[in-house]
Amino acid sequence: MSYTWVLGRRALREALRTPEALLPTLFIPMFFLVVNLGQAGKIFPSSTTGFLDGQNYGAFQLPSSMLLAASFGTAALFLVEDIEGGYFDKLRSSPVPRTSLVLGRLVAEVVKGLGIAIVLVLLALPFGIHVASGFVGFLLLIALTALWAVVYVGFMQLIALKTRSAAATNSGGLIFFPLLFLTPNFVPRHMLTRPMEIAATCNPVTYVMEALRSLILQDLVWGRVLTGFGVVGALGVVMVMLNLRMIRHYD
Amino acid sequence: MSKLVTQRAAGESFVGPAVEARGLVKHYKGRDGVVEAVRGVDLRVEAGEIFGFLGPNGAGKSTTVRMLTTLLSITSGTARVAGVDVAREPDVARLRMGVALQEAGLDARQTGRELLVLQCRLFGMSADDAASRAQELLELVDLVDAADRRIKGYSGGMKRRLDLASALVHEPQVLFLDEPTTGLDPASRLVVWEEVRRINGHGTTVFLTTQYLEEADQLCDRIAIIDGGRIVREGTPTQLKTELQVRLGLDDEPSLDDVFLDATGRTRERVAGVVREVGA
Ligand SMILES: Nc1ncnc2c1ncn2[C@@H]1O[C@H](COP(=O)(O)OP(=O)(O)OP(=O)(O)O)[C@@H](O)[C@H]1O
Ligand SMILES: [Mg+2]
Repeated sequence: MSYTWVLGRRALREALRTPEALLPTLFIPMFFLVVNLGQAGKIFPSSTTGFLDGQNYGAFQLPSSMLLAASFGTAALFLVEDIEGGYFDKLRSSPVPRTSLVLGRLVAEVVKGLGIAIVLVLLALPFGIHVASGFVGFLLLIALTALWAVVYVGFMQLIALKTRSAAATNSGGLIFFPLLFLTPNFVPRHMLTRPMEIAATCNPVTYVMEALRSLILQDLVWGRVLTGFGVVGALGVVMVMLNLRMIRHYD
Repeated sequence: MSKLVTQRAAGESFVGPAVEARGLVKHYKGRDGVVEAVRGVDLRVEAGEIFGFLGPNGAGKSTTVRMLTTLLSITSGTARVAGVDVAREPDVARLRMGVALQEAGLDARQTGRELLVLQCRLFGMSADDAASRAQELLELVDLVDAADRRIKGYSGGMKRRLDLASALVHEPQVLFLDEPTTGLDPASRLVVWEEVRRINGHGTTVFLTTQYLEEADQLCDRIAIIDGGRIVREGTPTQLKTELQVRLGLDDEPSLDDVFLDATGRTRERVAGVVREVGA
């Protein structure tokens, strides 16, 4: 564990020293929040739209932005840089457990994900958005976002370790991207067209989004929240296991 | 684990050769078939030697080094470094060897000091020990002034020296250097030679690959020449030169260049011919 943390701290240092890579992860989700609010805010006024629970449409959109912010996978591109530049071999020539080599970055991603989620919630406050589930809800909100970031980076790292190419990792990440939009991200699931509803129901991201949304719009709805954590937890375990398998067979 | 284990494992003396490879084979499987990069290499490097591993481009030097240093799986054969089987007990082997690869593997976003401290930590040292060891090494390779600057701004020579320092954090018993002086100016090359001799003087066995025959002649107690994945010559520089002189009945002692060209089936005439063709 201590090795994982030593490597995780280095990954965080690297992220902080590359603000060019960090800023878009905040800017683009905020951009979508503002644009979507501007485009659909009038269609869904808070006074007459039941699913908003009294908040404005921005509150409904915030989970999409948070998931987007947690789905950049920059850490995997840093890993490719390490591999291409030979630094990964230097790390591999040290006697640390192979697992720490991939877990370090994932641990760093938790910390980074928490930071990004907190900043996004703070940035959303001026839009009149608040977290209806209170402080505990806020903690769950940022935790769930951060764990999602781990799932996403875990997936990207798999491509990075497999292809060792920045171009392949970048475009490989896009395979996962549509899943963020096959969700009830504009209206609740029951208002979607039938085919879209089926697609969204099959998509695990839907449950993460619904959990985040319930934390923002409602008091603690444990069923929703636990489903979200369950989905992220299961995907997280799968990603970590695949990452560990990949690093053990890395040549 | 940490400090105790590191020191014990690294300090533990071993009997027998520092590097011993038997029937080492590496096949790379790629999209367009299998590349037989190393085809049955036997090596024996005695403790305390500076051993030179020579060969033309693509001969299999780096592949062999990567297998010996646990970075690459071994297709068949066995390898022991400092008495430890690198495939069976890679972590124990890693504690006993230092590695500086052909492409200086550094992280441009860290400072030189941070990189060394991190490397020390990965070899199990406490934060305090890591800090003082890093300072020691920075002084050793003359990078104190640049220590707190990002590696991004280092020159090629500075990067090489930092890479060398990072291979020494745990005072390894066997040091592997893959082309440590390629791309260095003559003065920096001499600095690295001095450093290699000094490290060797403290009892560390050095296994280095090089393209420069003069380097091998100056520095190495013994050399092996690999070509097409097979060892084609092995011995002290003097032995190899004498062997060639006797075999060809030459009047003057040949240079190591001549030995190399003879061993790899290249002759001065043929090489000159290629140069002429390219030039024409
Ligand atoms: N990852 C790889 N996949 C496929 N083939 C490889 C790989 N790495 C090396 N090779 C091939 O294996 C052979 C030996 O390569 P190696 O890098 O060991 O040579 P080298 O002696 O170090 O050469 P150089 O002096 O140019 O560094 C070459 O034919 C090379 O093309
Ligand atoms: Mg090489």
